[in-house]
Amino acid sequence: MIHVQNLVKWYGPTRAVNDISFDVPKGQIVGFLGPNGAGKSTTLRMLTGYLPPTSGLATIAGFDSLKESDKARRQIGYLPESTPLYLEMRVEEFLHFRGKLMDMSRPDRVKAIDYVSDRCGLSQIRTRVMGQLSKGNRQRVGIAQALLHDPQVLILDEPTSGLDPVQIGAVRQLIGELKGKHTILLSSHILPEIEKTADRVIIIAAGEIKADGSPAELRQRVGQGASVLVQVKASSESVNKVFSGVQGVESVQVEAQGDWTKAIIKPTPPGSSQDSTSASSALGVDDGDLRERLGQAIVTNAWAIREMRNETASLEQSFIQITADQSQVTNEAVA
Amino acid sequence: MNHVITIAKREITSLFYSPIAYVVLAMFALGTSLLFFSQFAPSAPASLQRTFEGIVWLMVLLLPGISMRLISDEFHSGTIELLMTSPLSDTQLVIGKWLGAMGFFVTLLVPTLVLVGVLEFFGSPDYGPLVTGYIGLLLVGGFYLAIGTFASAISQNQIISYMLTVFIICLFTFVIFLLSRASFIPPALQQAMQFMFVNGHFKDFGKGILDLTRIIYFVSGMVLFLFLAVKLVESKRWR
Repeated sequence: MIHVQNLVKWYGPTRAVNDISFDVPKGQIVGFLGPNGAGKSTTLRMLTGYLPPTSGLATIAGFDSLKESDKARRQIGYLPESTPLYLEMRVEEFLHFRGKLMDMSRPDRVKAIDYVSDRCGLSQIRTRVMGQLSKGNRQRVGIAQALLHDPQVLILDEPTSGLDPVQIGAVRQLIGELKGKHTILLSSHILPEIEKTADRVIIIAAGEIKADGSPAELRQRVGQGASVLVQVKASSESVNKVFSGVQGVESVQVEAQGDWTKAIIKPTPPGSSQDSTSASSALGVDDGDLRERLGQAIVTNAWAIREMRNETASLEQSFIQITADQSQVTNEAVA
Repeated sequence: MNHVITIAKREITSLFYSPIAYVVLAMFALGTSLLFFSQFAPSAPASLQRTFEGIVWLMVLLLPGISMRLISDEFHSGTIELLMTSPLSDTQLVIGKWLGAMGFFVTLLVPTLVLVGVLEFFGSPDYGPLVTGYIGLLLVGGFYLAIGTFASAISQNQIISYMLTVFIICLFTFVIFLLSRASFIPPALQQAMQFMFVNGHFKDFGKGILDLTRIIYFVSGMVLFLFLAVKLVESKRWR
């Protein structure tokens, strides 16, 4: 449905998108994840035909976004970043305007507006001036206008940014409901945001695809990046020795604090050659979480324990991690 | 064509929502009335010729107020992204915008019909020059608004659009008016400059003369600036 091949975009001397390729089959929900300035919006804008790519090719439902822009645009429902709306217009007036630009006849528009108002929860606010709407409601209007002409492809650029948790939940649910009817490409810089709705996640940073896979695969990668912090009452040497012997541990860093020892334990990255078992266990048995085995080791040695927690990798850390050992995942995606 | 009308309609509606429109409307009504009544006397001819010529000067400052937000506001608010990702060509967008502004300009002219009524009441005006006068005003307005559409595509900032529009219009009015009188400019060049002078071209319309060359002057001016505006909007994509 969406085909992107070697897409490159230069803004003057700055390269925003560097040689991106991916395919989205019909009906899939793909999350585009990346920090600000990673090139997410630029990529989406090239898909919608708003920006021409410097080189490369993007097709939507078989239409070239540049050469057959007019046809390609008709297949797309697009919610731009920050949801631009004509604030002086009323919701219904605006939806009619959008419908007219999509060459919908009046009866079609009336029907479609009823449908999207129902779908996006606009029934109460149809006659309101958009400048008076809350951010959440504006977002709904933005999604409604994207859905209006029943496009094959929905491109939503940060549909949940700036919303409160309840509204985020509502938008997520809406996107979930649209699953199957439309091929959806949505972007975000928040990981949990995407992993709940998307079938597949593409991580992009510095204009390049760093990872491409299902949320489960991704979660595993991010989880693997997390180290475990333990504080036990034992000498640092023995702590180091015992923990290093635990299966799935790559390195142990210890710091003596009086009678206590603080240890930061790094797990082995998945699929690395030295232990193949941890990769398989990571998938099913214990989700790659070291804490269970570390706990056992502590109990066996009868150490007093003060603290044990996962140092969850922030998105940024996981990006760094994924960037560092990107090769496997991207290769999987390409293959 | 449908798209052009859709854009134009939205533009007129949104102009009426903006305070600047009412400021322009009020100042235009006040200005035209002042121009009219300053020449309104028992012995004066029952025509709007002098009023029209005054209005053309008034338009230099007021019409850029209508056009300044046309495209700049779309870029400023980001709504341009919705338009440019719709099946809508840049030409349709620019012409639609300009047409919307023209629609508003026509609304500005409607109250001046009261002045025609006043003339009819106190005397017997000749309707020929009145009609050609209005045609002339529409042509000048179309030209100024085309310049304004072009300027509004240059910057996201409405003030800059306004100033730039006034500046370009001044090149075609004040600057030529003053320079063509300067002694250091050779007569041949002065004549050439006279040909660019908007008010000079308008004069005939006020007198009741429809001269094709004058119409061509205004129409080609509109086409030129609308074409430049389209090119500017197109070029925004590539930046």
